[in-house]
Amino acid sequence: MLEFLIPNNVMCHAVEAMLFASLGCALLSVLITQMNISSIGFTMSHAAFAGGSVGAFFGYAVLPSAVIVSILTAFLMGPLSDRTRMHTDTTLGVLFGTMMAVAIFFIALMQGTGKGFDASSLLYGNVISLYREEIYALAVMSALIIIFLVIFYKEITAIVFHKRLAEIAGIRVKPVYYGILFLISVMVALSIPIVGGLLLYVWLVTPAAIAYQFCNTMRNMFIMAPVIAVIVSVAGAIWGIMYSLPVGPLTAVIFSGLFIGAVAVSPKRKVVFHNH
Amino acid sequence: MTGGSDDIIQLEKVWTTYEGADLPVIKDVTLGIKPGEFVVIGGPNGAGKTTLLETIAGLLPVVDGTVQVCGHDVMKDGCAARKKIGYVIQNFDFHPYTPFTVEEVVLMGRFGKIGWLKRHSSRDMDKVTSAIHQLGLTLMQKNQIGKLSGGQQQKVLIAQNLAKEPEVLLLDEPFSNLDMITREEVSRLLCQIADAGIPVLIVSHAFDALPDRDIRVVVMQHGEIILNQLSHPSEVGNLVRTASVAA
Repeated sequence: MLEFLIPNNVMCHAVEAMLFASLGCALLSVLITQMNISSIGFTMSHAAFAGGSVGAFFGYAVLPSAVIVSILTAFLMGPLSDRTRMHTDTTLGVLFGTMMAVAIFFIALMQGTGKGFDASSLLYGNVISLYREEIYALAVMSALIIIFLVIFYKEITAIVFHKRLAEIAGIRVKPVYYGILFLISVMVALSIPIVGGLLLYVWLVTPAAIAYQFCNTMRNMFIMAPVIAVIVSVAGAIWGIMYSLPVGPLTAVIFSGLFIGAVAVSPKRKVVFHNH
Repeated sequence: MTGGSDDIIQLEKVWTTYEGADLPVIKDVTLGIKPGEFVVIGGPNGAGKTTLLETIAGLLPVVDGTVQVCGHDVMKDGCAARKKIGYVIQNFDFHPYTPFTVEEVVLMGRFGKIGWLKRHSSRDMDKVTSAIHQLGLTLMQKNQIGKLSGGQQQKVLIAQNLAKEPEVLLLDEPFSNLDMITREEVSRLLCQIADAGIPVLIVSHAFDALPDRDIRVVVMQHGEIILNQLSHPSEVGNLVRTASVAA
Protein backbone atom coordinates (compact mmCIF):
# COMPACT_ATOMS: atom_id res chain seq x y z
CA MET A 1 0.00 0.00 0.00
CA LEU A 2 2.77 2.44 0.86
CA GLU A 3 5.36 1.14 -1.61
CA PHE A 4 5.28 4.45 -3.48
CA LEU A 5 6.59 6.12 -0.30
CA ILE A 6 8.88 3.38 1.04
CA PRO A 7 10.64 1.39 -1.68
CA ASN A 8 12.30 -0.96 0.82
CA ASN A 9 9.86 -3.89 0.97
CA VAL A 10 10.73 -5.03 4.51
CA MET A 11 10.54 -1.49 5.86
CA CYS A 12 7.30 -0.86 3.99
CA HIS A 13 5.65 -3.98 5.47
CA ALA A 14 6.79 -3.06 8.96
CA VAL A 15 5.57 0.53 8.67
CA GLU A 16 2.20 -0.52 7.27
CA ALA A 17 1.70 -3.10 10.00
CA MET A 18 2.65 -0.69 12.76
CA LEU A 19 0.54 2.10 11.28
CA PHE A 20 -2.70 0.14 11.06
CA ALA A 21 -2.24 -1.80 14.30
CA SER A 22 -1.38 1.34 16.27
CA LEU A 23 -4.26 3.29 14.72
CA GLY A 24 -6.87 0.68 15.70
CA CYS A 25 -5.37 -0.06 19.11
CA ALA A 26 -5.04 3.64 19.99
CA LEU A 27 -8.70 4.34 19.17
CA LEU A 28 -9.71 1.40 21.33
CA SER A 29 -7.30 2.52 24.06
CA VAL A 30 -9.49 5.59 24.62
CA LEU A 31 -12.46 3.33 25.35
CA ILE A 32 -10.40 0.88 27.40
CA THR A 33 -8.94 3.55 29.71
CA GLN A 34 -12.12 5.58 30.07
CA MET A 35 -14.25 2.51 30.80
CA ASN A 36 -11.67 1.24 33.30
CA ILE A 37 -11.31 -2.12 31.59
CA SER A 38 -7.57 -1.98 31.00
CA SER A 39 -7.22 -5.61 32.12
CA ILE A 40 -8.97 -6.44 28.87
CA GLY A 41 -5.61 -6.01 27.11
CA PHE A 42 -3.80 -8.83 28.82
CA THR A 43 -6.92 -11.01 29.02
CA MET A 44 -7.47 -10.77 25.27
CA SER A 45 -3.81 -11.25 24.42
CA HIS A 46 -3.73 -14.39 26.56
CA ALA A 47 -6.98 -15.57 24.99
CA ALA A 48 -5.31 -15.21 21.61
CA PHE A 49 -2.25 -16.97 23.02
CA ALA A 50 -4.43 -19.84 24.27
CA GLY A 51 -6.27 -19.97 20.93
CA GLY A 52 -2.99 -20.12 19.04
CA SER A 53 -1.65 -22.97 21.15
CA VAL A 54 -4.93 -24.93 20.98
CA GLY A 55 -5.01 -24.41 17.20
CA ALA A 56 -1.41 -25.55 16.86
CA PHE A 57 -2.09 -28.64 18.98
CA PHE A 58 -4.96 -29.73 16.74
CA GLY A 59 -3.07 -28.85 13.57
CA TYR A 60 -4.89 -25.64 12.63
CA ALA A 61 -3.35 -22.29 11.60
CA VAL A 62 -2.28 -20.26 14.65
CA LEU A 63 -3.67 -16.80 13.75
CA PRO A 64 -7.26 -17.80 12.83
CA SER A 65 -7.39 -19.96 15.98
CA ALA A 66 -6.18 -17.00 18.04
CA VAL A 67 -8.82 -14.73 16.48
CA ILE A 68 -11.62 -17.24 17.10
CA VAL A 69 -10.74 -17.81 20.77
CA SER A 70 -10.38 -14.05 21.33
CA ILE A 71 -13.83 -13.44 19.88
CA LEU A 72 -15.32 -16.26 21.97
CA THR A 73 -13.70 -14.76 25.06
CA ALA A 74 -15.15 -11.36 24.19
CA PHE A 75 -18.62 -12.83 23.90
CA LEU A 76 -18.13 -14.65 27.19
CA MET A 77 -16.82 -11.60 29.01
CA GLY A 78 -19.90 -9.36 29.00
CA PRO A 79 -22.53 -11.94 30.04
CA LEU A 80 -20.12 -13.42 32.59
CA SER A 81 -19.69 -9.99 34.24
CA ASP A 82 -23.46 -9.57 34.30
CA ARG A 83 -24.13 -13.04 35.70
CA THR A 84 -21.43 -12.95 38.36
CA ARG A 85 -22.45 -9.42 39.38
CA MET A 86 -18.79 -8.56 39.67
CA HIS A 87 -16.78 -5.70 38.30
CA THR A 88 -15.69 -6.41 34.72
CA ASP A 89 -12.06 -6.17 35.84
CA THR A 90 -12.55 -9.09 38.27
CA THR A 91 -14.11 -11.25 35.57
CA LEU A 92 -11.22 -10.33 33.28
CA GLY A 93 -8.76 -11.41 35.96
CA VAL A 94 -10.41 -14.84 36.19
CA LEU A 95 -10.49 -15.21 32.40
CA PHE A 96 -6.85 -14.12 32.14
CA GLY A 97 -5.73 -16.88 34.51
CA THR A 98 -7.90 -19.45 32.73
CA MET A 99 -6.55 -18.53 29.29
CA MET A 100 -2.96 -18.58 30.51
CA ALA A 101 -3.54 -22.04 32.00
CA VAL A 102 -5.08 -23.32 28.75
CA ALA A 103 -2.14 -21.97 26.73
CA ILE A 104 0.49 -23.49 29.04
CA PHE A 105 -1.44 -26.79 29.18
CA PHE A 106 -1.45 -27.24 25.41
CA ILE A 107 2.14 -26.06 24.96
CA ALA A 108 3.22 -28.59 27.58
CA LEU A 109 1.19 -31.30 25.82
CA MET A 110 2.86 -30.46 22.51
CA GLN A 111 6.28 -30.57 24.08
CA GLY A 112 5.40 -33.89 25.68
CA THR A 113 4.19 -35.40 22.42
CA GLY A 114 7.11 -34.02 20.48
CA LYS A 115 4.92 -31.82 18.26
CA GLY A 116 6.88 -28.74 19.20
CA PHE A 117 5.43 -25.22 19.19
CA ASP A 118 7.31 -21.97 19.08
CA ALA A 119 5.33 -19.71 21.40
CA SER A 120 7.76 -16.83 20.99
CA SER A 121 5.94 -15.51 17.89
CA LEU A 122 2.77 -15.02 19.98
CA LEU A 123 4.60 -13.78 23.06
CA TYR A 124 7.03 -11.32 21.47
CA GLY A 125 5.77 -10.90 17.89
CA ASN A 126 7.78 -10.00 14.82
CA VAL A 127 6.74 -7.06 12.72
CA ILE A 128 8.57 -8.17 9.58
CA SER A 129 7.09 -11.67 9.59
CA LEU A 130 3.60 -10.59 8.57
CA TYR A 131 1.93 -11.67 5.36
CA ARG A 132 0.34 -9.06 3.11
CA GLU A 133 -3.13 -10.48 3.94
CA GLU A 134 -2.53 -9.90 7.62
CA ILE A 135 -1.68 -6.25 6.97
CA TYR A 136 -4.83 -5.90 4.86
CA ALA A 137 -6.81 -7.43 7.73
CA LEU A 138 -5.34 -4.84 10.10
CA ALA A 139 -6.23 -2.03 7.68
CA VAL A 140 -9.81 -3.31 7.34
CA MET A 141 -10.09 -3.69 11.12
CA SER A 142 -8.88 -0.13 11.75
CA ALA A 143 -11.41 1.12 9.21
CA LEU A 144 -14.17 -0.88 10.91
CA ILE A 145 -13.25 0.62 14.29
CA ILE A 146 -13.42 4.15 12.85
CA ILE A 147 -16.81 3.40 11.23
CA PHE A 148 -18.14 1.89 14.47
CA LEU A 149 -16.99 4.93 16.46
CA VAL A 150 -18.54 7.38 14.00
CA ILE A 151 -21.88 5.54 13.79
CA PHE A 152 -22.29 4.87 17.50
CA TYR A 153 -20.42 7.89 18.85
CA LYS A 154 -23.25 9.21 20.99
CA GLU A 155 -24.11 5.80 22.45
CA ILE A 156 -20.42 5.11 23.13
CA THR A 157 -19.87 8.43 24.91
CA ALA A 158 -22.94 7.85 27.08
CA ILE A 159 -21.75 4.35 28.02
CA VAL A 160 -18.23 5.56 28.73
CA PHE A 161 -19.64 8.32 30.95
CA HIS A 162 -21.92 6.05 33.00
CA LYS A 163 -23.35 2.71 31.88
CA ARG A 164 -26.33 2.94 34.24
CA LEU A 165 -27.24 6.47 33.13
CA ALA A 166 -26.93 5.42 29.49
CA GLU A 167 -29.37 2.58 30.17
CA ILE A 168 -31.74 5.00 31.92
CA ALA A 169 -31.55 7.34 28.91
CA GLY A 170 -33.10 4.54 26.86
CA ILE A 171 -29.91 3.44 25.09
CA ARG A 172 -29.51 -0.25 24.29
CA VAL A 173 -26.25 -0.57 26.18
CA LYS A 174 -25.48 -4.27 25.72
CA PRO A 175 -25.22 -4.42 21.90
CA VAL A 176 -22.86 -1.43 21.85
CA TYR A 177 -20.82 -2.70 24.81
CA TYR A 178 -20.48 -6.16 23.28
CA GLY A 179 -19.59 -4.51 19.96
CA ILE A 180 -16.71 -2.72 21.70
CA LEU A 181 -15.52 -6.00 23.27
CA PHE A 182 -15.74 -7.71 19.86
CA LEU A 183 -13.63 -5.04 18.17
CA ILE A 184 -11.04 -5.19 20.95
CA SER A 185 -10.81 -8.98 20.70
CA VAL A 186 -10.29 -9.05 16.94
CA MET A 187 -7.85 -6.13 16.99
CA VAL A 188 -5.82 -7.77 19.75
CA ALA A 189 -5.68 -11.11 17.94
CA LEU A 190 -4.59 -9.44 14.69
CA SER A 191 -1.96 -7.28 16.42
CA ILE A 192 -0.34 -10.04 18.46
CA PRO A 193 1.90 -11.28 15.61
CA ILE A 194 3.39 -7.77 15.37
CA VAL A 195 4.37 -6.89 18.95
CA GLY A 196 3.35 -10.04 20.79
CA GLY A 197 0.92 -10.63 23.62
CA LEU A 198 3.27 -9.30 26.27
CA LEU A 199 3.80 -5.85 24.75
CA LEU A 200 0.41 -5.33 23.17
CA TYR A 201 -0.86 -4.00 26.46
CA VAL A 202 1.27 -0.87 25.90
CA TRP A 203 -0.64 -0.05 22.72
CA LEU A 204 -3.99 -0.69 24.32
CA VAL A 205 -3.45 1.68 27.21
CA THR A 206 -0.54 4.10 26.75
CA PRO A 207 -1.73 6.20 23.75
CA ALA A 208 -4.92 7.17 25.61
CA ALA A 209 -3.01 7.61 28.86
CA ILE A 210 -0.71 10.11 27.12
CA ALA A 211 -3.61 11.90 25.37
CA TYR A 212 -5.50 12.07 28.67
CA GLN A 213 -2.75 14.25 30.14
CA PHE A 214 -3.63 17.01 27.64
CA CYS A 215 -7.28 16.45 26.65
CA ASN A 216 -10.44 17.41 28.48
CA THR A 217 -12.90 15.87 26.03
CA MET A 218 -13.40 12.43 24.54
CA ARG A 219 -13.39 13.89 21.03
CA ASN A 220 -9.90 15.33 21.53
CA MET A 221 -8.68 12.05 23.02
CA PHE A 222 -9.98 10.18 19.97
CA ILE A 223 -7.89 12.50 17.79
CA MET A 224 -4.73 12.80 19.89
CA ALA A 225 -4.29 9.15 20.94
CA PRO A 226 -4.12 7.68 17.41
CA VAL A 227 -1.93 10.55 16.15
CA ILE A 228 0.59 9.88 18.95
CA ALA A 229 0.37 6.10 18.48
CA VAL A 230 0.89 6.22 14.72
CA ILE A 231 3.87 8.61 14.97
CA VAL A 232 5.57 6.59 17.73
CA SER A 233 4.87 3.21 16.11
CA VAL A 234 5.99 4.21 12.63
CA ALA A 235 9.10 5.88 14.07
CA GLY A 236 9.74 2.74 16.14
CA ALA A 237 9.45 0.54 13.04
CA ILE A 238 11.78 2.74 10.97
CA TRP A 239 14.43 3.11 13.69
CA GLY A 240 14.17 -0.54 14.69
CA ILE A 241 14.80 -1.79 11.16
CA MET A 242 17.42 0.88 10.38
CA TYR A 243 19.49 0.08 13.48
CA SER A 244 18.58 -3.64 13.74
CA LEU A 245 16.74 -3.21 17.03
CA PRO A 246 13.66 -5.21 18.15
CA VAL A 247 10.76 -3.07 16.90
CA GLY A 248 8.10 -4.03 19.45
CA PRO A 249 10.14 -3.41 22.61
CA LEU A 250 11.69 -0.26 21.12
CA THR A 251 8.23 1.18 20.38
CA ALA A 252 7.01 0.21 23.87
CA VAL A 253 9.99 2.00 25.46
CA ILE A 254 9.33 5.15 23.39
CA PHE A 255 5.67 5.06 24.47
CA SER A 256 6.66 4.73 28.12
CA GLY A 257 9.18 7.60 27.87
CA LEU A 258 6.57 9.77 26.22
CA PHE A 259 4.05 8.92 28.92
CA ILE A 260 6.48 9.93 31.68
CA GLY A 261 7.18 13.19 29.82
CA ALA A 262 3.45 13.83 29.33
CA VAL A 263 2.75 13.32 33.02
CA ALA A 264 5.58 15.70 33.91
CA VAL A 265 4.28 18.55 31.74
CA SER A 266 0.56 17.80 31.94
CA PRO A 267 -1.59 20.89 32.58
CA LYS A 268 -3.82 18.67 34.73
CA ARG A 269 -1.19 18.73 37.44
CA LYS A 270 -0.87 22.50 37.40
CA VAL A 271 -1.90 24.10 40.69
CA VAL A 272 -3.22 27.64 40.39
CA PHE A 273 -2.82 29.70 43.53
CA HIS A 274 -4.06 33.24 43.82
CA ASN A 275 -2.77 35.18 46.80
CA HIS A 276 -5.12 38.12 47.35
CA MET B 1 -55.53 4.74 44.37
CA THR B 2 -54.57 1.50 42.60
CA GLY B 3 -55.25 -0.06 39.27
CA GLY B 4 -57.10 2.89 37.70
CA SER B 5 -57.34 2.90 33.91
CA ASP B 6 -55.85 6.41 33.75
CA ASP B 7 -52.79 5.45 35.79
CA ILE B 8 -49.57 6.25 33.96
CA ILE B 9 -47.63 3.98 36.33
CA GLN B 10 -49.24 0.66 37.26
CA LEU B 11 -47.70 -1.94 39.52
CA GLU B 12 -49.77 -5.10 40.04
CA LYS B 13 -48.70 -7.52 42.78
CA VAL B 14 -45.04 -6.94 42.02
CA TRP B 15 -42.24 -8.99 43.54
CA THR B 16 -38.68 -7.94 42.85
CA THR B 17 -35.42 -9.45 43.96
CA TYR B 18 -31.74 -9.08 43.27
CA GLU B 19 -29.86 -12.04 41.84
CA GLY B 20 -28.49 -14.11 44.69
CA ALA B 21 -30.58 -12.36 47.34
CA ASP B 22 -32.13 -14.60 50.01
CA LEU B 23 -35.40 -12.68 50.17
CA PRO B 24 -37.39 -10.53 47.76
CA VAL B 25 -36.75 -6.81 48.15
CA ILE B 26 -40.18 -5.73 46.92
CA LYS B 27 -43.10 -7.86 48.10
CA ASP B 28 -46.52 -7.94 46.52
CA VAL B 29 -46.58 -4.22 45.77
CA THR B 30 -49.61 -2.78 44.00
CA LEU B 31 -49.49 0.91 43.18
CA GLY B 32 -51.10 3.22 40.65
CA ILE B 33 -49.89 6.74 39.87
CA LYS B 34 -51.88 9.22 37.84
CA PRO B 35 -50.50 11.99 35.60
CA GLY B 36 -49.60 15.09 37.60
CA GLU B 37 -49.32 13.37 40.97
CA PHE B 38 -46.49 14.34 43.32
CA VAL B 39 -45.46 11.26 45.24
CA VAL B 40 -43.07 11.09 48.18
CA ILE B 41 -41.77 7.62 48.98
CA GLY B 42 -40.54 7.39 52.55
CA GLY B 43 -39.51 4.77 55.05
CA PRO B 44 -36.44 3.56 56.88
CA ASN B 45 -33.15 2.60 55.23
CA GLY B 46 -33.40 -0.73 53.45
CA ALA B 47 -37.20 -0.53 53.15
CA GLY B 48 -37.03 -0.97 49.35
CA LYS B 49 -37.59 2.64 48.25
CA THR B 50 -34.76 2.81 45.71
CA THR B 51 -35.59 -0.72 44.56
CA LEU B 52 -39.15 0.44 43.90
CA LEU B 53 -37.86 3.25 41.65
CA GLU B 54 -35.48 0.86 39.87
CA THR B 55 -38.36 -1.57 39.37
CA ILE B 56 -40.52 1.16 37.84
CA ALA B 57 -37.60 2.11 35.57
CA GLY B 58 -37.29 -1.53 34.46
CA LEU B 59 -33.74 -1.84 35.77
CA LEU B 60 -34.42 -4.86 37.96
CA PRO B 61 -35.98 -8.23 37.16
CA VAL B 62 -39.61 -8.51 38.24
CA VAL B 63 -40.04 -12.09 39.43
CA ASP B 64 -43.82 -11.84 39.68
CA GLY B 65 -46.53 -9.32 38.82
CA THR B 66 -46.52 -6.62 36.15
CA VAL B 67 -45.13 -3.10 35.87
CA GLN B 68 -46.62 -0.83 33.22
CA VAL B 69 -45.24 2.65 32.59
CA CYS B 70 -46.72 4.89 29.90
CA GLY B 71 -48.39 1.80 28.41
CA HIS B 72 -45.15 -0.21 28.22
CA ASP B 73 -44.52 -3.40 30.15
CA VAL B 74 -41.07 -2.54 31.53
CA MET B 75 -39.93 -6.16 31.56
CA LYS B 76 -40.80 -6.77 27.91
CA ASP B 77 -40.11 -3.33 26.53
CA GLY B 78 -37.86 -1.65 29.10
CA CYS B 79 -35.86 0.37 26.60
CA ALA B 80 -38.97 1.99 25.08
CA ALA B 81 -40.32 2.69 28.57
CA ARG B 82 -37.04 4.26 29.72
CA LYS B 83 -37.14 6.70 26.82
CA LYS B 84 -40.20 8.16 28.58
CA ILE B 85 -38.90 7.86 32.13
CA GLY B 86 -36.62 10.39 33.77
CA TYR B 87 -34.65 8.87 36.64
CA VAL B 88 -32.21 10.83 38.78
CA ILE B 89 -30.07 8.27 40.59
CA GLN B 90 -28.82 8.66 44.14
CA ASN B 91 -25.24 7.45 43.98
CA PHE B 92 -22.86 8.98 41.50
CA ASP B 93 -19.19 9.72 41.72
CA PHE B 94 -17.59 11.38 38.76
CA HIS B 95 -13.81 11.49 38.50
CA PRO B 96 -12.48 15.08 38.52
CA TYR B 97 -11.12 14.61 34.98
CA THR B 98 -14.13 12.79 33.51
CA PRO B 99 -13.84 14.06 29.93
CA PHE B 100 -17.39 15.38 29.62
CA THR B 101 -18.77 18.86 30.00
CA VAL B 102 -22.04 19.74 31.71
CA GLU B 103 -23.61 20.42 28.32
CA GLU B 104 -22.51 17.02 26.95
CA VAL B 105 -23.88 15.20 29.99
CA VAL B 106 -27.24 16.97 29.78
CA LEU B 107 -27.45 16.16 26.05
CA MET B 108 -26.89 12.46 26.85
CA GLY B 109 -30.35 12.46 28.45
CA ARG B 110 -31.83 12.82 24.95
CA PHE B 111 -29.75 10.12 23.27
CA GLY B 112 -32.39 7.42 23.71
CA LYS B 113 -35.02 9.63 22.12
CA ILE B 114 -32.75 10.66 19.26
CA GLY B 115 -32.36 6.98 18.38
CA TRP B 116 -29.76 4.96 16.50
CA LEU B 117 -27.74 6.41 13.64
CA LYS B 118 -29.02 9.95 14.16
CA ARG B 119 -27.27 13.07 15.32
CA HIS B 120 -28.78 15.59 17.71
CA SER B 121 -30.83 18.37 16.17
CA SER B 122 -31.15 22.05 17.03
CA ARG B 123 -34.35 21.14 18.93
CA ASP B 124 -32.34 18.76 21.10
CA MET B 125 -29.85 21.52 21.84
CA ASP B 126 -32.70 23.94 22.64
CA LYS B 127 -34.01 21.46 25.23
CA VAL B 128 -30.51 21.08 26.67
CA THR B 129 -30.00 24.83 26.90
CA SER B 130 -33.40 25.28 28.51
CA ALA B 131 -32.78 22.55 31.11
CA ILE B 132 -29.35 23.96 31.93
CA HIS B 133 -30.91 27.41 32.36
CA GLN B 134 -33.72 26.06 34.57
CA LEU B 135 -31.19 24.53 36.95
CA GLY B 136 -29.02 27.67 36.98
CA LEU B 137 -26.07 25.95 35.34
CA THR B 138 -25.62 28.29 32.38
CA LEU B 139 -22.31 29.73 33.56
CA MET B 140 -20.78 26.28 34.03
CA GLN B 141 -22.20 24.49 30.96
CA LYS B 142 -18.74 24.20 29.38
CA ASN B 143 -17.11 23.01 32.62
CA GLN B 144 -16.15 19.39 33.16
CA ILE B 145 -18.74 17.68 35.31
CA GLY B 146 -16.12 16.07 37.57
CA LYS B 147 -14.89 19.46 38.69
CA LEU B 148 -18.27 20.53 40.04
CA SER B 149 -19.39 20.09 43.63
CA GLY B 150 -21.69 17.19 44.60
CA GLY B 151 -24.72 19.50 44.65
CA GLN B 152 -23.89 20.97 41.25
CA GLN B 153 -23.41 17.47 39.81
CA GLN B 154 -26.83 16.54 41.20
CA LYS B 155 -28.33 19.56 39.44
CA VAL B 156 -26.67 18.43 36.20
CA LEU B 157 -28.32 15.01 36.51
CA ILE B 158 -31.69 16.66 37.15
CA ALA B 159 -31.12 18.88 34.09
CA GLN B 160 -30.21 15.77 32.07
CA ASN B 161 -33.59 14.27 32.93
CA LEU B 162 -35.49 17.49 32.26
CA ALA B 163 -33.87 17.78 28.83
CA LYS B 164 -35.17 14.29 28.13
CA GLU B 165 -38.77 15.62 28.36
CA PRO B 166 -39.91 12.64 30.41
CA GLU B 167 -43.50 11.53 30.82
CA VAL B 168 -42.67 10.20 34.28
CA LEU B 169 -40.00 11.59 36.59
CA LEU B 170 -38.34 9.52 39.32
CA LEU B 171 -35.82 11.07 41.70
CA ASP B 172 -33.82 9.26 44.36
CA GLU B 173 -32.84 11.60 47.21
CA PRO B 174 -32.85 14.68 44.94
CA PHE B 175 -32.24 17.09 47.83
CA SER B 176 -29.45 15.18 49.56
CA ASN B 177 -26.53 17.24 48.21
CA LEU B 178 -28.34 20.55 47.83
CA ASP B 179 -28.22 23.65 50.02
CA MET B 180 -31.47 25.11 51.39
CA ILE B 181 -31.97 27.72 48.67
CA THR B 182 -31.31 25.23 45.88
CA ARG B 183 -33.64 22.71 47.55
CA GLU B 184 -36.45 25.23 47.38
CA GLU B 185 -35.65 26.07 43.74
CA VAL B 186 -35.59 22.39 42.76
CA SER B 187 -38.77 21.76 44.73
CA ARG B 188 -40.54 24.60 42.86
CA LEU B 189 -39.31 23.17 39.58
CA LEU B 190 -40.58 19.69 40.43
CA CYS B 191 -43.92 21.21 41.40
CA GLN B 192 -44.15 22.93 37.99
CA ILE B 193 -43.36 19.62 36.30
CA ALA B 194 -46.11 17.84 38.24
CA ASP B 195 -48.52 20.71 37.49
CA ALA B 196 -47.77 20.14 33.80
CA GLY B 197 -49.18 16.62 34.17
CA ILE B 198 -45.97 14.66 34.62
CA PRO B 199 -46.03 12.49 37.73
CA VAL B 200 -43.07 13.11 40.02
CA LEU B 201 -41.97 10.35 42.39
CA ILE B 202 -39.26 11.18 44.88
CA VAL B 203 -37.53 9.04 47.46
CA SER B 204 -36.53 11.37 50.23
CA HIS B 205 -35.71 11.72 53.89
CA ALA B 206 -35.85 15.53 53.61
CA PHE B 207 -39.44 16.70 53.99
CA ASP B 208 -38.74 20.37 54.62
CA ALA B 209 -38.55 21.42 50.98
CA LEU B 210 -41.71 19.84 49.62
CA PRO B 211 -43.91 21.99 47.37
CA ASP B 212 -47.15 23.45 48.64
CA ARG B 213 -49.58 21.09 46.90
CA ASP B 214 -51.31 17.77 47.48
CA ILE B 215 -48.75 15.05 47.97
CA ARG B 216 -49.26 11.31 47.83
CA VAL B 217 -47.28 9.75 50.63
CA VAL B 218 -46.14 6.17 50.13
CA VAL B 219 -44.38 4.62 53.12
CA MET B 220 -42.44 1.40 52.70
CA GLN B 221 -41.24 -1.08 55.30
CA HIS B 222 -39.50 -4.41 54.60
CA GLY B 223 -40.32 -4.18 50.89
CA GLU B 224 -44.04 -3.61 51.38
CA ILE B 225 -46.19 -0.51 51.11
CA ILE B 226 -47.60 0.14 54.57
CA LEU B 227 -49.16 3.54 53.84
CA ASN B 228 -50.46 5.16 50.68
CA GLN B 229 -52.52 8.32 51.13
CA LEU B 230 -52.90 11.92 50.03
CA SER B 231 -51.49 14.49 52.39
CA HIS B 232 -50.42 18.09 52.87
CA PRO B 233 -46.64 18.81 52.67
CA SER B 234 -46.48 19.87 56.33
CA GLU B 235 -47.82 16.47 57.43
CA VAL B 236 -45.58 14.27 55.28
CA GLY B 237 -42.74 13.98 57.81
CA ASN B 238 -45.10 13.01 60.62
CA LEU B 239 -46.97 10.51 58.47
CA VAL B 240 -43.76 8.76 57.44
CA ARG B 241 -42.45 8.68 61.03
CA THR B 242 -45.72 7.47 62.51
CA ALA B 243 -46.24 4.77 59.89
CA SER B 244 -42.66 3.53 60.22
CA VAL B 245 -42.84 3.36 64.02
CA ALA B 246 -46.26 1.70 64.01
CA ALA B 247 -45.06 -0.98 61.60
